[in-house]
Amino acid sequence: MSTPSTAAPRQHPPRGETIVEFKELWKSYSGRDILAGVNLKIQRGEVLCVLGPSGTGKSVTLRHINGLTRPDSGDVKVFGESIVALSEEELSPVRRRLAMLFQGGALFDSMNVEDNIAFPVREHTSRTPEEIAAIVAEKLTMVGLPGIQRKMPSELSGGMRKRVALARSIALEPEIILYDEPTTGLDPVSSEKIAQLIVDVNVRQKSTSVVVTHDIVTARTVSDRVVFLHQGRFQFVGTFDEAASNGHPVLKDYFRAMGFPCGTGAFQAITQGV
Amino acid sequence: MAQPEPSATAIFYRNLGWLRFVDRFGRKGSQTVDYIGGLFEMIGQFFAACVSRPFYSAELVNQMDELGVKSVAITGITAFVTGGVLALQTAYSLEAFGGKNFVGRIVSLSLVRELGPILTALMVAGRVGSGITAEIGSMTVTEQVDALRAMAVSPIRRLVVPRVLAVLLMMPVLTAIADVLGILGGMGIAVLEIRMTAQDYITSIWQQLSISDIFSGLGKTVFFGLEIAAIGCYNGLQVEGGAAAVGRATTRTVVLASISILISDFFLTKLFLAI
Repeated sequence: MSTPSTAAPRQHPPRGETIVEFKELWKSYSGRDILAGVNLKIQRGEVLCVLGPSGTGKSVTLRHINGLTRPDSGDVKVFGESIVALSEEELSPVRRRLAMLFQGGALFDSMNVEDNIAFPVREHTSRTPEEIAAIVAEKLTMVGLPGIQRKMPSELSGGMRKRVALARSIALEPEIILYDEPTTGLDPVSSEKIAQLIVDVNVRQKSTSVVVTHDIVTARTVSDRVVFLHQGRFQFVGTFDEAASNGHPVLKDYFRAMGFPCGTGAFQAITQGV
Repeated sequence: MAQPEPSATAIFYRNLGWLRFVDRFGRKGSQTVDYIGGLFEMIGQFFAACVSRPFYSAELVNQMDELGVKSVAITGITAFVTGGVLALQTAYSLEAFGGKNFVGRIVSLSLVRELGPILTALMVAGRVGSGITAEIGSMTVTEQVDALRAMAVSPIRRLVVPRVLAVLLMMPVLTAIADVLGILGGMGIAVLEIRMTAQDYITSIWQQLSISDIFSGLGKTVFFGLEIAAIGCYNGLQVEGGAAAVGRATTRTVVLASISILISDFFLTKLFLAI
């Protein structure tokens, strides 16, 4: 867990239409229900945080949005289109409008930073090498790492890798960005940088973001809404402040375990630097 | 006194060993069927991807260099040494019958029809098959394969097609080089140890070898290449877990590719003899 951020809570942007929808989603592994009839609507333009302890299926939830994982039953609609029955080829047009930041970055270790960021642009557009180089430079500047085009992923720190991976994710300016544990394993300063970048990208590119995290400080910094996943269901859906003051026993236990007891004002006091 | 009827529970426990055996056998059988089905499905996707766009030609050239050209040394040395040893053994065996002059014929025929293809395939399975599984397996466990899919890039097109096609195309080339080097190795021994002239050695080869011998040998290697690269790619894509799982998958590739080469060699030899 990182130290508390002093950043102001998110100002909630106006809600748009539903861009992602889960209907009665079920998924089990080895006989254990990870998702047990989940329902959720994600609005265009919002930053939604999926909170919950490790191993509760947050990443599985996220991977249903871009079809990397298929449900046992239920439906997932993205951009109004059901994607559960689509083949890998049929999913391509949907996936081109989405991007995902993986937990470990998932940079291609055989390519340098420039080729990694340029990869989706070269794959899906016919831009000239000069235009691609300009996009790479712009995205690297945006994530605060200008001039590292020639470095290999193995030469980068964990935080830098995640920022380069974020630059790759936003290279095609996707409509939805999925973040899988973006701050896990990072020091507090790097965590805060990543959290701030998530907000910046959401505002500048007018994208929708779904952030899976167990770090409530990051959730506080970035979220318009949070959902709390426990025992295969969303036990809470609402704003972060509502979650922090909610009387739900599981949520209270979670916040207490993370060092911020609900309803005591401790979280608000620390995060606002009081 | 009549024995009491054993209860259902007693019968169950008496047969527990058998039930466990049947259960384990069934599970293994089911896993094997799943594996073979998955492998053939991937091969089907490979052929479909070969005839449609996008096609990564630069990656194909890169893989032909990485998997093919860089394998010339190991396959060439193996064939050269084997050719020499074969010449030595043949001369020793035929000396009593005055058949030293057949050394060239026997060495060339053995190499071109059988030893060249099979030794090259086994060497490539060890070097290339294991390398493919290790590379793709590492990409799988570090979510790089998922990253490709998330970016709407097919791992079959991007990873499997260039590798399988590269091995498939390079196997006949590697085998042809191995055949030539093996014959040269045999010639070296024939000249230095058996005191034949190079002229006699080469003449006996010309008299014996036919075009059909060469093509039946080279033809088999295309199938071997497909087996090696497809098993390598499939095992890499199926890895779940961490570094240890990648290691196990790599070993599995070498074992399965070697066995499949040896078994298919029998049927391919019969096929090419019939043709």
